[in-house]
Amino acid sequence: MIRPYERGVYHLHDKKCLAMILAGGQGSRLGVLTKHIAKPALPYGGKYRIIDFVLSNCVHSGIDTVGVLTQYQPLDLNTYIGSGQPWDLNRNHGGVFILPPYLKTGAGEWYKGTANAIYQNMGFIERFNPHHVLILSGDHIYKMHYGKMLDMHIARGAAATIAVFRVPINEASRFGIMNTNADGWICEFEEKPQRPKNDLASMGIYLFNKDILKKYLTLDEQNSSSQNDFGKNVIPRMLEAGEKLYAYNFDGYWKDVGTTKSLWEANMDLIRTPPRFDLYDPDWTIFSRSTALPPHFVAESALLSNSIVTEGCEIFGRIHNSILFAGTKVGRGARVCNSIIFPGAKIEENAVVEKAIVGSGTTIKRDAYIGQKDGSRQWINTICEDDISIIGDGLIIDRGTRLCKGSMVEKSILTGREVSGAAYA
Amino acid sequence: MRDTMGIIFTESDDVTLKELTELRSTAALPVAGRYRLIDFVLSGMVNSGIINVGVATKHKYSSLMEHLGAGSAWDLQRENYGLHVLPPFVSHEQYGILGGEIDILMGIMPYLRNSRQRYVVLSEGNTICNITFRAAMDMHKKSCADVTIIYRKEKAENLPHSLVAEITPEGRVTGLEYMPRRPKSVYASMDMYILEKELLIRICESCAARGEHSFVMDALVRNLSNLKIFGWEYKGYAGRVDSTASYFSCNMDVLKEEVRAALFGQENPIYTKVKNRIPSKYGDSAEVSDCLVADGCVIEGTAENCIIFRGVKIGKHSHLKNCVIMEKTHIDTNCEAENVIFDKECLMREGKRLIGQPSYPVIIRKGTVV
Repeated sequence: MIRPYERGVYHLHDKKCLAMILAGGQGSRLGVLTKHIAKPALPYGGKYRIIDFVLSNCVHSGIDTVGVLTQYQPLDLNTYIGSGQPWDLNRNHGGVFILPPYLKTGAGEWYKGTANAIYQNMGFIERFNPHHVLILSGDHIYKMHYGKMLDMHIARGAAATIAVFRVPINEASRFGIMNTNADGWICEFEEKPQRPKNDLASMGIYLFNKDILKKYLTLDEQNSSSQNDFGKNVIPRMLEAGEKLYAYNFDGYWKDVGTTKSLWEANMDLIRTPPRFDLYDPDWTIFSRSTALPPHFVAESALLSNSIVTEGCEIFGRIHNSILFAGTKVGRGARVCNSIIFPGAKIEENAVVEKAIVGSGTTIKRDAYIGQKDGSRQWINTICEDDISIIGDGLIIDRGTRLCKGSMVEKSILTGREVSGAAYA
Repeated sequence: MRDTMGIIFTESDDVTLKELTELRSTAALPVAGRYRLIDFVLSGMVNSGIINVGVATKHKYSSLMEHLGAGSAWDLQRENYGLHVLPPFVSHEQYGILGGEIDILMGIMPYLRNSRQRYVVLSEGNTICNITFRAAMDMHKKSCADVTIIYRKEKAENLPHSLVAEITPEGRVTGLEYMPRRPKSVYASMDMYILEKELLIRICESCAARGEHSFVMDALVRNLSNLKIFGWEYKGYAGRVDSTASYFSCNMDVLKEEVRAALFGQENPIYTKVKNRIPSKYGDSAEVSDCLVADGCVIEGTAENCIIFRGVKIGKHSHLKNCVIMEKTHIDTNCEAENVIFDKECLMREGKRLIGQPSYPVIIRKGTVV
């Protein structure tokens, strides 16, 4: 492999650490919400996308070269990340790169698993010749200083360091559990164990020495029975070979938004007093691509309590315990309660939205009721946990529609009372 | 409009704006919750396709430079042209007295000469509007005018402090009076002009040679008979900020639905500096009506008819009415304020009371602790 600086392209030092963000996941348990976008591109907290957290963490940790591996529905993510300017990742040497799977001479395939995705991009990694490679998930919400993890990794002389956090022991069987000795040396790794011996769960954050990563990814690739997954294959193989694997303890807020319930809860965590997850930290700003929208307007008829509202909103109705994203409109007499309203959605006059996630650009027409106790049960779906209703992107829920709680709507519901031939989805 | 460049002047009425422009230029005055005055005309230029904009400063320009940065928020961070913040420059062509626009333009003459655009849009940065210059430019080219003035129908009370133009139905300007006591027409210049760059350079040079300073008085009003001056009427909303009272009323205008629709409801967005503040949070006891609220606020008290900028905190049991509250001002608990303009980073301590009048709002200087 001839590196760019050997070709005389640029004469800069090697990177200390390069981050690879896995952002190709579909998030199938989120149903209609991830129909057109990958999970890392999901809106969160009023103005963010989930991937903002890892990107901001990288920038605050001094990592300026980031690969974002996309596969499932990448368009939103591509346009959102763009040149990387909002995160200061539009750099002359380094910056953010979108890495989709690509054709190679004679071959070419989709990313088969997390390890294979990185393996297919070894060429990209070697261009920057980093000493260390940090593997991250694009769909987790947390604030973490990777630099501290890197320092510890170097000080211990580890081959790989895996970030872990404590989970309640009765939930431990849902995670990959690390069994460590007193100084954090991992002696055993169990993926979703029936009887967990420990409560240290892997966060899916792996820090490798580059050469060791390359060695084990190549070995993993040669094993045709492997699922090419870091947790299932690569880490166990390294343990078998007796490599020095260490756990790095993280004790802050961490949330994987894999399900409707966890997405809803992660958002609601922001409006508790005091918030479970604090975004006000001036030293750890979460950067995001901003919209050029005016401040939000709150009319005389509006009533807001315990809610988060952002730019471009126009509020004429009542909002309680809810999160409103940029450019949402809530009409006079409408009521939004315990809900998350994605960007550009409209809740018309006298409509009610209770415990729901309403997709981007969706219109809830007047007098409609989402999340009613005894509404229509036609759209009830098991994906909707905890009676949360979810409405897809760009839909129209027509006048007077009544949906029972726990509904998932993928197509516009048009009662025909008000069809005007407008751009209905 | 790649053949056009923009020049924005930043300090027009900094005397009549009193404390508000004590530490900043007029163009850097915070308005409408998250903007600075310059954002409107600058976004207008960008939305018209102008990619070379010079911001000609005079003094007190540090907050303006801070706001504009490299111009990335306006998509003007370019390899070719882009945004140029031009500090006052004393050259052999300009002897160090910055009396008016002519002196400022003489100071930035190298920038003007080096730009390869044929036309220039000159504008003051003191008007809240959503304007694009394409139609005015078309008219300028079609009419073969020397100078095109962008004007609007102005309210009678504002005419005595405007440049009032008499205009024929074809658009030719036949009379110009600056601050007339008895205005002869209802059309006032918006302080925006289109002309060829070469003509502008010639005008500047001849004015400077005669010791003249003002673009309006010396270049336009005196030369009305020598120049072919046309007018183009802007019909949208415009609020000119030239006094503390107009600053207050322009902010309050934005609370009207039709004004918001005219400024922000269009295809042309108004861009401003991005600050990555988190969305605003309303507590259980918040009571907010007819307010414009930017990001990063924490509101637990009552606010009526207020413009609330980024990062403002309003404590429990505080009552604010008709106030403009700039960035990072904190209102403690049990306060009361009416018709007050709080500048940035003020602190109103627990239980304090401040009452102004709509025509004479109380202004609290930046960083004041009340």
